[in-house]
Amino acid sequence: MISVLTFIIMIIVGATVLGFIAVSAMFLIWWERKVSAHIQTRYGPMRVGWHGVLQSVADVVKLLLKEDIMPAGVDKWIWWFAPFFAVVPSVMVFVCVPFGNIFGITLIPADLNIGILYILAITSVCILGIFMAGWGSNNKYSLLGAMRSAAQMISYEIPLILSIITVVMFAGSLSMQKIVEAQSKLWFIFQPNLAIAFLIYLISALAETNRVPFDIPEAESELVAGFHTEYSGMKFAMFFLGEYTNLFIVSAIAATLFLGGWQGPFLPPVVWFLIKTYGIITLMMWFRWTFARVRVDQLMGFSWKVLTPISFANLAVAGWALLK
Amino acid sequence: MIRYFINIITGAWSLIIGLMVTFKNTLRRGVTIQYPTQKLPMTDRFRGLVDLRAEKCIKCYQCAKICPTGCLSITHKETPEKKKELVTFKYNMELCCFCGFCDQICPTQAIYMSKIYEIATYDHEKLRIDLLDSEKYSEWLNPNVK
Amino acid sequence: MTKGIMETKINDNIHTEEFFVNLGPQHPSTHGVLYLEAKLDGEIIVDCATHIGYLHRSMEKIAENRTYTQFIPFTDRLDYVASMNNNLAYVMAVEKLMKTEITERAKYIRVIIAELNRVASHLVGIGTFVQDLGAFATPLFYAFREREKIVEIFDEVCGNRLTYNYMRAGGVQFDLPAGIDAKIKEFVGYMRTRTDELEGLFTKNVIFLARTKGIGVLPKDMAINYSVTGPNLRGSGVKWDLRKDEPYLVYDKFNFDVPTGDNGDAWDRYKVRIEEIRQSLRIIEQAIGGIPEGDPTVKVGRILRPEAGEAYFRAENPRGELGFYIVSDGSPYPCRLKIRGPSFSNLAVLTPLVKGVKVADLICILGSLDIVMGEIDR
Repeated sequence: MISVLTFIIMIIVGATVLGFIAVSAMFLIWWERKVSAHIQTRYGPMRVGWHGVLQSVADVVKLLLKEDIMPAGVDKWIWWFAPFFAVVPSVMVFVCVPFGNIFGITLIPADLNIGILYILAITSVCILGIFMAGWGSNNKYSLLGAMRSAAQMISYEIPLILSIITVVMFAGSLSMQKIVEAQSKLWFIFQPNLAIAFLIYLISALAETNRVPFDIPEAESELVAGFHTEYSGMKFAMFFLGEYTNLFIVSAIAATLFLGGWQGPFLPPVVWFLIKTYGIITLMMWFRWTFARVRVDQLMGFSWKVLTPISFANLAVAGWALLK
Repeated sequence: MIRYFINIITGAWSLIIGLMVTFKNTLRRGVTIQYPTQKLPMTDRFRGLVDLRAEKCIKCYQCAKICPTGCLSITHKETPEKKKELVTFKYNMELCCFCGFCDQICPTQAIYMSKIYEIATYDHEKLRIDLLDSEKYSEWLNPNVK
Repeated sequence: MTKGIMETKINDNIHTEEFFVNLGPQHPSTHGVLYLEAKLDGEIIVDCATHIGYLHRSMEKIAENRTYTQFIPFTDRLDYVASMNNNLAYVMAVEKLMKTEITERAKYIRVIIAELNRVASHLVGIGTFVQDLGAFATPLFYAFREREKIVEIFDEVCGNRLTYNYMRAGGVQFDLPAGIDAKIKEFVGYMRTRTDELEGLFTKNVIFLARTKGIGVLPKDMAINYSVTGPNLRGSGVKWDLRKDEPYLVYDKFNFDVPTGDNGDAWDRYKVRIEEIRQSLRIIEQAIGGIPEGDPTVKVGRILRPEAGEAYFRAENPRGELGFYIVSDGSPYPCRLKIRGPSFSNLAVLTPLVKGVKVADLICILGSLDIVMGEIDR
């Protein structure tokens, strides 16, 4: 039995993390609109609040007030629970993310010694949410979109995991805290093997979060409308929130594994962590607004014929380099 | 085997060139303005809503005849001093195609195209007006009117 | 798709069905109200039926009740993206019917305006094509930002931004305003750098190449048999451009090339359009340098009354050949006016091209043909 003090600390930490997720998702929506606007030489939201900062609040209020339509003929329980399966795993992953360091105590809700393995296992459950949405919607277009999405996410998990294994080999441990400490002399991205692993991780992360150039599940200008067609109101908001939380998670993992986590001179560690994470998020947004979309078969071909062999070769070379 | 790696490197380089173009555009100033708090001025020859200087009209009916959609309908009467006087000068904004023929053909420049372009309304009746009313454009009058 | 496991004997026992998908009249990527009914077998399109007519406004019938001058605003609304070129083709047909000659200054002004509109129209075509491929809004915004400069020039010249109503039988509506040639020269220099930038974003980009190389290959003989014209024909390797082969106005005085493609795929059509922008800028530069003084209009009378006869004139629009066939019986109203819209023939080639390709490629091929529904439905 846990003591009352531990229980109270758990509640406080949990509430803080959930609050951070909520604020972070709303901030990310605003940030995406501003980045896209400046790339397109326009201004983005400017009216609601200073330079449109409160625009996300207005959007959330609008989504909450929308009517929640349930089409006839959906498979009721599967359709109802799909948004939760899309969002909850992304939130569960925050348990293992090291946010910073105050006087030697790492700000991590729970420092599991299988940290990165836990993260990879839980993020795979998101695919289930998408598939449930596609099947439950009773709509052939949604099903096509969901199946494509599931195929995409499964095939890009392999390069993702292989690049993370390379990092784990160099760090010598699965725990997130120890991976950060292993980078105290030199960030992992500056080692040649791991630079390639970083690129592979970045591309696979784009595919995992369904962003351009791999955003076929959400393609608006193609025939199939995507797995979230039949959702409106708060359920749609949950999918949206899940997508942005996913984006934050993959960037946070990239920042921790390759860029040295919360380490850095002068500024407090939490600020460094946020700077690195948002830097990678901005990089992904930059990709979104520059590139076109790849076709489904080209996407699969790219993963199996290019990324997977290269990541295996990288792993082999890294293992050989470490043995020396 | 070498082809495989060359393809990957040229592919990656082309993507980086694309990213540089987008980045260069981020540094440029925005080209949009915050309408409706800021509005651009219209050019001299801009063809907005049709307007009438009733005192210059010589009732030749050329504008009504040349309108391709027939949106102008004019009636006049003879006063006891054998002068013509306009009774109604109806203008149907829903049919007008803003071509500028009436402006070009009027011999006295009585009918002309103003600079009003913000003409959205909720009511059909507001779009079928009589150009002899002094209140004709009261719904949309804004500083762009001459 | 290469012959893989889906086509081996294992699957002959599984019952598969083809299903119909409607790319309905209202869809973000059909460039207007076009209804495509596609029969799909898995991911491959077996057949595709095109249904048009959702934008039919009976222009040819209306023309029989309007005078020749009154019909000019209606021609604006045929290919609403390249409105000046439509006006030009129509008034030249009327001038051919009336056998009038126009002044040199009017010819130069018409060439400059028509080529500026060609640049604007190709920008729209390229922007929407790339948007359909998924580069969601950025290239479209860049293309429209450059087009805004052209539209501002037109706003100063004639007063409107989309439907210009600028050409008249006998010349043009107004003379060019003072100071416009400095603006046009500045625009030509600006557009050259921006075209290079736009090309850098796409022409060698590996994702764009993977999506468009080898897709929608239009062989030369099929293009000629289906009466495809414009950049689609030139992308297939046929060097036919009315400005060089049957020159009208003063095109024979300028130096410019006619770009052609090698294979006839979607990438070639895109590349031909980019090169045509550059060639149009060359023509504009030469024309602005040598524009003669004089009167821009010839007096033709208020109501045009051509003698009985018929005339056909075809002009090189940004999308192909636009032809006007006018039959006159001596009255102020035409007896019959037939419009040959280039996008109508270009769209006919869609059905043979999409048999056997994937769904994503259908959108790509439709975008690369660059159609405007106003010309198809009239």
